[in-house]
Amino acid sequence: MEERSRDSSSKPQNLHLLQRIKGFTRSLLEDVCIRHCLPSVTLDRYRNYCSDPTGNWYCCNSNLLNGEEILSLERESHAYRLDALLRVLLIVQTLLQENKHLSKRDIYYIHPSVFSEQQVVDRAINDICILLKCSRHNLNVVSVGKGLVMGWLRFLQAGRKFDCMRSPSTGHPIPMHVEEVEDVMCVAKYILVVEKETVFQRLANDKFCEKNHCIVITGRGYPDVSTRRFLRLLVEKLCLPAYCLVDCDPYGFDILTTYRFGSMNMAFDAKLLRVPEIRWLGVFPSDAKKYHLPDCCLVPLTPKDKNKAETMLQRCYLHREAPQWRSELGIMLQRGMKFEIEAFSVSSFSFLSDEYIPSKIQDGVYI
Amino acid sequence: MAISSARKLCQNLIALSIQRCRISNNLCRLSIVLKSPTEFNPPLLRVTISDTGAGSSLAEFKCMDWTSSQVSAETWDGVLSITTTSICDNEIHHYCLSFKETIATRRLSRLPTTPKNGRKFSGSEVSFTVQESIDDFVVWITQLCQKISILKIPIVAVELLVEQMNGPGSRCDHLLLAKDGILLPLSMPSIERLASGLEDYVLKHGNAVDKECQDCFSSREQLKVGRGVACSGPSVKTTVQMAEAVIVITEVPESSKFSCLRACSKMTEVLTPQMHKRTQCDRNLVKKAVKIALDDLKAKYTGLFLSSHALKIRGYAPDLSRAIAGLILSSNDKDFQGECASLLGLQPEDIRGEGIVDSCIREKIIGVIEMNDIKPKYVKEYAPHLFEDNSIQKEESQDEEDEGAKVGNCLKHAVGIKNLSCGKKDPSVHSTRTESWILFWAFSA
Repeated sequence: MEERSRDSSSKPQNLHLLQRIKGFTRSLLEDVCIRHCLPSVTLDRYRNYCSDPTGNWYCCNSNLLNGEEILSLERESHAYRLDALLRVLLIVQTLLQENKHLSKRDIYYIHPSVFSEQQVVDRAINDICILLKCSRHNLNVVSVGKGLVMGWLRFLQAGRKFDCMRSPSTGHPIPMHVEEVEDVMCVAKYILVVEKETVFQRLANDKFCEKNHCIVITGRGYPDVSTRRFLRLLVEKLCLPAYCLVDCDPYGFDILTTYRFGSMNMAFDAKLLRVPEIRWLGVFPSDAKKYHLPDCCLVPLTPKDKNKAETMLQRCYLHREAPQWRSELGIMLQRGMKFEIEAFSVSSFSFLSDEYIPSKIQDGVYI
Repeated sequence: MAISSARKLCQNLIALSIQRCRISNNLCRLSIVLKSPTEFNPPLLRVTISDTGAGSSLAEFKCMDWTSSQVSAETWDGVLSITTTSICDNEIHHYCLSFKETIATRRLSRLPTTPKNGRKFSGSEVSFTVQESIDDFVVWITQLCQKISILKIPIVAVELLVEQMNGPGSRCDHLLLAKDGILLPLSMPSIERLASGLEDYVLKHGNAVDKECQDCFSSREQLKVGRGVACSGPSVKTTVQMAEAVIVITEVPESSKFSCLRACSKMTEVLTPQMHKRTQCDRNLVKKAVKIALDDLKAKYTGLFLSSHALKIRGYAPDLSRAIAGLILSSNDKDFQGECASLLGLQPEDIRGEGIVDSCIREKIIGVIEMNDIKPKYVKEYAPHLFEDNSIQKEESQDEEDEGAKVGNCLKHAVGIKNLSCGKKDPSVHSTRTESWILFWAFSA
């Protein structure tokens, strides 16, 4: 357990949440003792997009409340979820009282046989966030950071100095407690987000940041909360343009939309996690032809890929806010082929760093 | 094994006798006499069923529907000798009813009467001859009579006599006298008689109706009894139909000491008089009565008789209560803890007691689960494990096949006893096993 400060009274947010937890516990007791009904929990339901088949995307209330869900002991499937929620809530209450932090994984290992898998803890944490109307970090629950950052950047986190500028081509872990990041200093011209660590390392090897005066971030696949919050913080504080480079496949596209619109799982917190300003730098389906990629680099879409792409095409936010993204996705589906960013290294290892990315940014070939 | 038509006939005749006794409204005797002359091979058996009830109008016999082919395939000769007289008759009437006759109107022959010489009495005697070993028949009819005695029918005493004819003389063995019904107060409702009879039956070791075992259930207090009475509304064509059901449940420890019980209660089924072909209406009525009896049990013994759904939900109560207790006890807010103690009906000082808050919350949650389980919305989920062997349905399908004699508007009398062994799916009661019995019957009120 990571101890941040013993003085919880200095954290009004903690006291506020502790009050809510007590209120919730009281309501459970009242259910049983006064109302003589089984304990139940009412959770607001959120979503960050809809897939309205009628095409009424412009009236979609995404990011708003979308009804509520009542977890009651009367339903067996809810009983287990309620059990997990209460067990995690008990841990959270202790964390807040003692102002300590635990990772999601730590929490899982407190009752591994009961939780059975990490997803059970993750859902319980999300349920608690919705119940207490807060973000995960407010619960003093952190995820083991998996994001990396490099480039022309310096900041303090809980008094500790992160100076990426001393070695702009070296990756640093993105801090877990993003809310404690302060004094951000930067001399970069833009932020580049890359989907994969391999691409991040390629750019590091090519000293991309030094040559291009930028910041490069990777979430190593689907980005975690810290990475998204950190990116959002940089974009807000530094007012820099942000570009995203993902594989030309449905999963790359989904990762791209996670950065821009948030994920469905954490829709309740999407407004704090999304980066609407991010632009899609590549790679586009049309890049294969434009950059004369050899056929051997193109792989047919699997049925699962096609299904995923078709489902994503229905998302209301693509219709409403990113029609160009949507049409590129449509082209990918139509051509039935996918390829990875690394395909550009076929002609030259440093093609990505030397030509593809700089020329795209310089010429404004992003959407 | 399918019951022979001779035995079916015997069941019907006994039911008709009981009905005549009930109509007379006087204390009556019903005698079943078996005679077996030794000189015949294969052995012949003369069965006589006599009662001191009201005389017969013969309508119930005319309703009997035995075809000549059914009779010829059986060991029964197809002939009934009937003697009957009503209280107001001056003579005793004798008849011969032959089912070998294919034309129904020619079946009944009137025989010379016997004068009563001014004496006032009523009664009937019906006899027939069957080609069957007396020993086998005695075993069967003894069980039948014992099961009839479970009903504790008022005003009727049933006796079973066996007359062995051994060459020079004959010997009469008085095998059984079912008189429990007449010993009870006449005012005792039928459902109470049924309950008392089933309790006796259970105490006497399930199907081994003639044995008592002190190991299994030594006292009635251990038995949990539910009663249900269902009536159908009278219509223009029918009389009021009633069904009564009694359910007895008891929990016995799983222990080798009770091997006797297990030996006797392996999903046994006893069906006594199926006097008529049961209609859907009867079945529904019986189901309704069983349901009401289950309700009664659940209301009286809350918690013992939970649905499988409630049992599953109850399994979460300990974890949930522990977590809620944890939220209260680990809070650093003393006022909050005091508030919770007050909600739980505890004193503030109790809050620190080992496990007190936890067990208090658990009890309350379990209490709500049990209360919810007897609310109407769970009607369809009544202790489904009781019926998981589908024995009721099975029994009904047997009824469909039962070609018992149709007796029109005569007594509709059907008795079924179920002993359903069922394991409770509650992990907390591994050490016990639930034994249950259901007894039901339907009749015209």
